[in-house]
Order: sequence, then structure tokens, then C-alpha cells
Amino acid sequence: MKSPQFDYCKPASLDEVFTLLAQHGDDARILAGGQTLMATLNMRLSEPVLLIDITGLKAMRGIRVQGDRLYIGALTTHTDIESSALVAQHAPLLAQAAPHIAHRAIRNSGTWGGSIAYGDPAAEWPCCLSALDGTVHLQGAKGARKVSATDFFQDLYTTALQPGEIVVGADVPLASTVDWVGFDELARRHGDYAVAGLAVAARFERTLVQRVNLSFLGIGAIPIRARRTEALLAGKTLDAGTIEIAVASLKAELDPLPDLTHHAGTKRHLATVLARRLLQAAHASRSAIAA
Amino acid sequence: MELTGDIVIGAPRVRVWAALNDPDVLAACIPGCEAVEVVGPLEKTARVMVKVGPVRARFAGRILLSDVIETESCAMSFEGSGGAAGMARGQSEVQLSDESMPEGLHTRLRYTVQASVAGKLGQVGGRMIDAAAKQMADQFFGAFQAHVAPAAAPVPDATADTRPQTPLPADTVAQPSAAPAPIRAADSASAPPAALPASTEWLRVKWFALGALATALGVWVGARL
Amino acid sequence: MAPLHTLHVEVNGQLQQCSVQPRQHLVDFIRNDLGLKGSHLGCEHGVCGACTVEVDGRIVRGCLTLAVQTQGCKVRTIEGLSHDGDVRDLQEAFIRHNALQCGFCTPGMVMAAKELLEVKPDASREEVREWMSGNFCRCTGYHAIVDAICDTLAERARKGQKVGA
Repeated sequence: MKSPQFDYCKPASLDEVFTLLAQHGDDARILAGGQTLMATLNMRLSEPVLLIDITGLKAMRGIRVQGDRLYIGALTTHTDIESSALVAQHAPLLAQAAPHIAHRAIRNSGTWGGSIAYGDPAAEWPCCLSALDGTVHLQGAKGARKVSATDFFQDLYTTALQPGEIVVGADVPLASTVDWVGFDELARRHGDYAVAGLAVAARFERTLVQRVNLSFLGIGAIPIRARRTEALLAGKTLDAGTIEIAVASLKAELDPLPDLTHHAGTKRHLATVLARRLLQAAHASRSAIAA
Repeated sequence: MELTGDIVIGAPRVRVWAALNDPDVLAACIPGCEAVEVVGPLEKTARVMVKVGPVRARFAGRILLSDVIETESCAMSFEGSGGAAGMARGQSEVQLSDESMPEGLHTRLRYTVQASVAGKLGQVGGRMIDAAAKQMADQFFGAFQAHVAPAAAPVPDATADTRPQTPLPADTVAQPSAAPAPIRAADSASAPPAALPASTEWLRVKWFALGALATALGVWVGARL
Repeated sequence: MAPLHTLHVEVNGQLQQCSVQPRQHLVDFIRNDLGLKGSHLGCEHGVCGACTVEVDGRIVRGCLTLAVQTQGCKVRTIEGLSHDGDVRDLQEAFIRHNALQCGFCTPGMVMAAKELLEVKPDASREEVREWMSGNFCRCTGYHAIVDAICDTLAERARKGQKVGA
């Protein structure tokens, strides 16, 4: 299908973007990678008046260490993150998750900021940001502000973004040697929207869990942190018995939303499958280090 | 897609029933609603701009009531066309019952919805239909609750509320607002289909105000009877 | 109607200047304005991979890229890639393994495989399957395509080793 008529512009400054957004409101759409927007327009599921191409804003590119955080500009593509040495070193969770995003051609265009701004329930970056307790950087005509991942993702496709604001980047804490991270997702075919996914970020003392973050995608309208189960695991070793306790806790704690292809019970089960896999992997890895 | 809900509205059953049948209340509470028109005693049309993620689809639809037991229950069937985006259709059942609360007589509202979405919205957006429908239902009932039982107004007790709130048949309640509704329809007919009215928020405020005025008029008329 | 934009873009090594509607996507521009019919449209929403073309050295979904977004860029289609000879060995492997029947998916397959050969020269069969899973084929059942790519990888590795020795 062909998209409806719209006008297109490519501002050279953020101020121009904010002026245009104030002028057009919801009739204007931000265009970065366009991997979600263009599919929507081609299917005529939206008919905006104007596309504002923000890919000319160089300040929104780049990956850099800032203090104790790794900052990633909104226009960074998924492939950039996948192949970044800085990400591999300082945010290995993102490097693990990146290959799961759709397919290579889409990863070459789609962006970090775009995925975060949409907040699709099955998207990898919101899930990872939530696992790492990352921070989203927003900017609008009134200025810049930062919102924690927990506060940013609020409801289905609903984020803390106010009209006239855009995501300019997001940062995550730098990984350390006592951290273990793992990502996995289950989809009917590689590259499909995942049925369920899990990002684990844990801090260990030898094989003892100091704290663990369990962030699920595809289970709720937003990334779901299994905080009760997280609390249960603190101070424990991830042996087989503890993992079973965690699985039982997850079954009670998670209240999955069904989607088109899988009902809640299946999603709950798949969430526990992922939890077992990743917690076992974490234990094996830490045991190998401790040995 | 199936959706069920069970909520307590902070108002007596008669008022909740009247509000559920009031096109102005519906227009004010349905997320993205641009117009609700009464076509017959059991029939309404509605135009809703659905905003879910990147999707902006304007649905024009028809709601048909059946199996109506005044102030207690009814069945509704609905179907809507989203133009190029696709179609939606389904049915729902709503049941009202008294719920005694310390603050007074409230209403327990139970609903079930079965719906299907066809066309591109179903293909491409289908995976999110359940979650989106739930979000819209939550938003609707949040707005409905605020409209019917605003926190500031004291909830009338069981005896006092029957006086001004005598059960008015649905079409009578609709009467005061029937006049403004056709004017709105004329407005919308002349608006360019592709453009989103810049004053959507203002429209909603206007409808809310009209709805409040109409309800006040109904109360005044009822008190006079 | 929205105003037309003047597009300056290099396609297959040739500078092009055209007037385009903002809503026109890259493959429609390539096919209709430039007459290059090698890039195909299947689903037109980014899922099937038939539209895969190269922009500034990287493969993209041509149906999800607006022509106006390629202002000042270098675009290469299957015609250009074939002409440049970068993947002659891959194309011959496709023929040898009968990896195309109707040929509709083939340009997209070759473009996608080209980037794999560049980025993952030591890919396993499993990695090849994962990489290529973004391109759909209705005719061949995929195995022949995977065989052709693995064959090419192996052959390039062998030649690379010989050169290194």
C-alpha cells in the first residue's frame, strides 16, 4: 500500500523541531529511523500532515561514557549499538539484546530513541532500560529533563513524553565485574515481535546474589519488573532449589496480558522458562569465576 | 478479543444508567470521541479517533441496544469502520446492581465485551488489540466515574436520590441534548476528513459542559414533574 | 497536494536529480522514476525483505525508506551490485544450488547475503539462517539459498587462507 500525502522537512536545529511541533501538534510525526512510522503510514493507519526528519541533528548521535553512565544518543541505530565496543564493554546487556531486534536491514535504520519513545510492549530497549534502571533524556521547548525508566514507561504506548517533547537519548550505569547480565526472548520466528522476553541484571558477591533485576517484555503493556521475586532472590545463591522458588514466585507474581497469538497462561509459562534459563546461566557463570 | 470488567461507580444505579445512555456523557468519556448522535431510542452513532501507539484511525460506528431492562442491564452490539485502517465489530453486555457502601448507595457495573478487528488494523495491530481495548475501557470508566460521581459532590443517600433522579426513559434524557447534537454533526460533515480538528480538547470540554447543562436541565425538569 | 522536493542522490554510481513527492518510498522511486525494476515490493511494510537495497553501504528496507531521506546519499540496487561484481561468486552459487525459482525474492536475498559476507565472514549455518530470516521466499523452501550462502562463505574462507599462507 502507498502512504497518504504528507509534507516533509528536515530541521537543522532542535529549536526548529519544537517550533514545528508546537505549530502542528499531533498532525506532525517525528521521523528518525522510520521502521515503525513508515510501516504505519504505508498501511494508512495514520495520516499525518507533516513528517519532521530529525536525523540531521548530529547532537543526538553518539555513544559516550559520561561519569559513571554510558550515554547513547537517540539517533544511534540498533546496528551501531550491536557493533559498538563501548557498549560491549560498558553495557553488555544491550549487546546481547541487539541481535534479537527484527532483522539486519531494520537494525541498520531503526533507532535507540525511536524504540524508547514508542515503548512497544515487546520492544527490547525499554525492557533493557528497565532492567538497568536507566534514565531517559527528554527535551522540549521548555527545556531538558530526565526521567527514570520506571517512571517513563507508564501504560500501553504511553510514556512520560509530553506533547512537544522528544527523546534525545538515554543512559545506563556502567557495568562492573561483579555484574552479570543476560537477555533472551522467545518468538515464533526469529525477528518476530517476541511472545515473552527477559533481561536480567544482577550484582553478585562470588555466587551470592546481592541484588537482581528481572525485567520482562511481552508480558504487560510496559516492561514488567518482577520486584517480589527480585526481593526473594537477594542474598541467595542461584542453586536449583532457589531457582524453583523463583519460578513459583513468578507464577504468582506475573499477571500477563494475552495478545493475538498467546493467552496469559502460555505467557506466564514462557516467562518462567526464560527465568530458569537465565538464572541457571548466571549461576554457572559466577560459579566458573569463583572456581 | 474478550474483555470483562467489574467496577463500582460512586453513584446510584438510576444515575449511572441515565449517564450510560446519555450521548453527551458518552462523547465526553469515550477516549478520542468526536461525536455521539442519537438516531433512535435504541440506536446511536459515534465517531472516535483511536490513538494507540503510532496508529491514528478515525472510526465511524453504530451502537444498537437490545434486551434492555431499565436501570439494570442491556446488551449492545456495535460495528465501526475505520476507513483504510479496517473495521471493528462486537457485542457487549452491561449489568448494573446496587452496591451498598459506607458513603451511600453505589452501583456495581459488570461488563463483558467480545470484539473483533478486521482489515489492516487487525493484521498489523491485532496483537495489541486486547491491551489497547483494556486501556480504552480503563480510560472510559475513569472519565465516567469522574463525570457521574465527581469527588467534590456529596453522594446522595438512598432515599434522597430518587427524588430528582426519577428514572427517565433513555430518549427523554436524550431530548435536551438532541438539539445541539445535529449542529455538531453538521460541523463535522464540513470538516476535511484527513485533517484532525485542532480544537479536539476544546470540543471535549464543550461537550462535557453541554452534558452537564443537559443533566442539570433534566434534573430541573424532573424536579418540576 | 504537498509540494514536491528536489532529490539529489547517487544511484549505482550515477548522480540523479529528480522531483519527488515526500510520500514516495525509495523502491517506488527506483522502479518508477529510474526504471530499475530489480528491486521488488512484496508486503510494503518491512516484513518480507524483497525491497532490500543498499544506502550508504548498509542494507535497508526500501519500502520503509522515503526517497527524500536519501538526499545526498549513495544508493546501490541489485543492478549496481551485480554490475560491480562484488558478489559474482554468490550469484553463481545461487545458480549452482538452484536457489531461485520465480526470482521475486532473489534480489533482496542477494543484497541481504552480501552484507552477511562482509560483516560475518565466519558465520555458521545457524547464523546464516538467522541473518536471512528477514527475507521470505515462497518457492524454494530456503535450504538451497542457505546452501548457496554457506558455500560462498566456505569458498571465500578457503581462498582467504590460501592468500594468507
